[in-house]
Amino acid sequence: MQDPLDAVAASEARRVAVIDRCAKAVCSVMSMDSPGGGSGVIFDPAGLVLTNYHVVGQPDKGYKQPDPPDPSEEVLAKWREANKDADDEAEVKFILHWKNEWRAEHQSSGASHYKNKKVGLPDGKLYEGVVLGIDPGSDLAVIRLLPKEEGQTWPFCELGNSDALLVGETVFAMGNPFLLATDFTPTVTFGIVSGTHRYQEGQGNRMLVYPDCIQVDAPVNPGNSGGPLFNEAGEVIGINGRISIGDRGRVNVGVGFAIASNQIKNFLGDLVAGRHTEHGTLDMSAWFMTSRDGKEHKRGVFVQQTFKDSIVTEAGVGLGDEITRFNGTEVRSANQLATMVGVLPAGTWVTLRHRPTLEDGGFGDEREVTVKLTALDTGSSRDDNARLASRIDRRIAKDQILGQWLFSGIFAPTEKGAVQWLRRAPDETKNVAIADGERLRLELGRHILVSTGNGEGFARANGETRDLTLDEKERLRRERVSNPMLWLKSQTPARLKDALLLGGVHVHGAAAYRFALPGAGDCEAWFFLDGTPAGFAFRDPVRRAHVQWHVRGNKLRVVVDGDLERGWSSGKRATGEPEEQWFRRKS
Amino acid sequence: MMRIALTVTALATLLSAQTKDFGKYYSFDEREPKTQVERTIHGLLPSMVKIHGASGLATITAYATGIIVSDQGHIVTLDQILLQKGRTRVVLWDGSVHDATLLRADDKLGVRLIKIDPKEVNGKLKALWPPSEKQAKYRNGQFVVSLGNCFRLAEFSEKLSATFGVVVGKANTALRYRMADVKYDGDIILTDACNNPGHYGGGLFTLDGRWIGLNMKLLDSKETNTMLSAALPSRDLLPYLEEYVLGKKREDVIKKVVPVWTGITLFEQAGRKSPPAYVERVKRGSPGRKLGLRIDDMIVRIDDFSIRSCKELRSVLKKYKPGDTVKVMWKRGTKVMTGDMELMEKPKR
Repeated sequence: MQDPLDAVAASEARRVAVIDRCAKAVCSVMSMDSPGGGSGVIFDPAGLVLTNYHVVGQPDKGYKQPDPPDPSEEVLAKWREANKDADDEAEVKFILHWKNEWRAEHQSSGASHYKNKKVGLPDGKLYEGVVLGIDPGSDLAVIRLLPKEEGQTWPFCELGNSDALLVGETVFAMGNPFLLATDFTPTVTFGIVSGTHRYQEGQGNRMLVYPDCIQVDAPVNPGNSGGPLFNEAGEVIGINGRISIGDRGRVNVGVGFAIASNQIKNFLGDLVAGRHTEHGTLDMSAWFMTSRDGKEHKRGVFVQQTFKDSIVTEAGVGLGDEITRFNGTEVRSANQLATMVGVLPAGTWVTLRHRPTLEDGGFGDEREVTVKLTALDTGSSRDDNARLASRIDRRIAKDQILGQWLFSGIFAPTEKGAVQWLRRAPDETKNVAIADGERLRLELGRHILVSTGNGEGFARANGETRDLTLDEKERLRRERVSNPMLWLKSQTPARLKDALLLGGVHVHGAAAYRFALPGAGDCEAWFFLDGTPAGFAFRDPVRRAHVQWHVRGNKLRVVVDGDLERGWSSGKRATGEPEEQWFRRKS
Repeated sequence: MMRIALTVTALATLLSAQTKDFGKYYSFDEREPKTQVERTIHGLLPSMVKIHGASGLATITAYATGIIVSDQGHIVTLDQILLQKGRTRVVLWDGSVHDATLLRADDKLGVRLIKIDPKEVNGKLKALWPPSEKQAKYRNGQFVVSLGNCFRLAEFSEKLSATFGVVVGKANTALRYRMADVKYDGDIILTDACNNPGHYGGGLFTLDGRWIGLNMKLLDSKETNTMLSAALPSRDLLPYLEEYVLGKKREDVIKKVVPVWTGITLFEQAGRKSPPAYVERVKRGSPGRKLGLRIDDMIVRIDDFSIRSCKELRSVLKKYKPGDTVKVMWKRGTKVMTGDMELMEKPKR
């Protein structure tokens, strides 16, 4: 038998090694001009730091972005060279345009601005950090460290899977409680997971809600806010942000709460792209109820309050209806429903199963509705929808994400030839898309659009072949540049070369990134966090509408100008040698 | 248009207890327990219940935890204000809610048994019982987990909170009975596994799942402004549980308790809350007279208990029986005097 002391020593050595590795990525986040501060953790080698919104503080209301510089003489000379017969007015216009471009490149947009932070790392160095995205709804923020030298990278810890946590599992909290460490070496505390999927109400105007948090007994104290919670493997499974307190004031009583990493992942795209994230709501309140009314046992979660024009009412859910399932999961308590809704961003499409109340007091048959979550108003978001990080920040983010995917090997060149992707339309017709390099063939039921690559193409409908209209040409181009289902995997990095991270989106129960592609038409390509395609969006010039395609497995959801088009499904995606007849025009 | 967005609030109303099965435990997908701690906690959770009761005051919690001690529906918990009035409801691990009837409380231990109807329970109740004397042993530094519903974080089928720590020590509350609001005067287990409101009545377990303690209220010292987590040794509950759960007769209950008599009448000023224990009169032939107590002597100590008021003197004397000899310290003027006093039964007239 193994000596128990050896086992203890071995376990201790493992723990020390993990803590040693993780501690390098834990930082102190402090305000530039006032004392106090919190903690944070670097989750990306490009210097992206996760912390709490309440550590970042209030927006700097009096702040005005600095004016852009004037274009340099070289730029002007180059422009004059290119536009020899331009008048002064044109030059003024150019300068204005150049300044606007400079703004978009270097400055974040949106009304609220947050002062830069001082971020201290355990190596004793102090960095300046720019506040990118904020999530006041559930107390998160992302900061990007400004490098001291070109191409600097930072030690980092990856986000783990918080749903794999079990009560009793060992965890460590790190951070800088009470700002004890003036050299920024983190304080490590040890404990177990005391509870999972806990719902903690917010403060004030639905801000700082912890909808799906991890309860730990590892001591978490003021100053630990924003610091990471690690599992035994050293993955970040939460961000410590709140404690329940007893009678003794703001100190630990063994009940701390961490924002679960899987919730963070749902908002990661928006946070890194510098957005003001918004949480979704069903626009109703539900309660758990049990009553014995003589006829039938009522026991479950029922709609308690809603509005006449709320999304659920419009979908046919009424007062007193029983909610049985949410996104396929059985609902057992109001807490659980709040937990499941609270971790989703606004705009997420969800399915809800309910049993409508009947006039005789009973319940009708279960039915399913699909609704888009509206934004939960936190009061801070009203005028801030346009918030977005500077292009530099979004480019760095995109490069970083792409780099991770390349490193993971998901784009290894195993696919060859043309790509074919099948969709099934609501009228049961098959829609086939075949892409081969610059060539694209779209079979939309009986209507066929083909682009042969050199800007040319043809359309076939009702047995007739004709030239493409300008709108159809543009439609084909937009599908070709934005639809990642039609890209060979190995092409992805090249296709996303000039893209910028635009934000996040939730596709069929998984978080994805949205990348804005250059060119007209609001083209977006979407990818899940692991690098598999999640869908795309563009403004369709033929339908004259903005169309989104949400793809996951055989699930396909088509959203036209914000409305769901029911009945779509996705078929197989295959690669192989293209047949020339697909792109040949027959008269 | 003004528009208010409603959140999905977690409002739980229990209009009536009912017993239908409400599906299985918990509904988030979870992995299987792997480590010893995880296995122990998940093995014990079905034996723990959430208790909800009435509370008259905002500062007094209306929720607690209990441990199932028989498959007949007996549940042991700390005797608290929430159990005193109104309905008491018990939530089992599967989220089902049951009305509970209150059984006999034990004032000395400060615990109470409550009972739910086992016929209304879906399946068989998984009961715990205090371990044998050998198994009930614990040592300082031994790892423990504490289970309970602190701050009412868990509702219905949600899991109770688990905290982890070590046994810090053993303490005799009799020595510090004035510092903390503890009824029990035996040895209690001190631990650093966190204990908070709502956790009371939950269990303290060793890592191999032995039930060693029942979580008590936080020991709170007003003098040092410190609080300690403590548990009542489960072993000490045994006579009580045997009597009221198994129906065994307990000897010390049958024996009539005889109050001790000292023959001292104390000087209790009207209107004063806790007057010091000044002697007003001493009966002839009483233990007090034998000791040599006189009028205006102030009793300050009996054995290890310091006496600050008449009330304290009376409560300390309750711990003794006739025939016991106690060491008494009293103050006469500026002198401090001591002596032994043999306590007596009150003579019949």
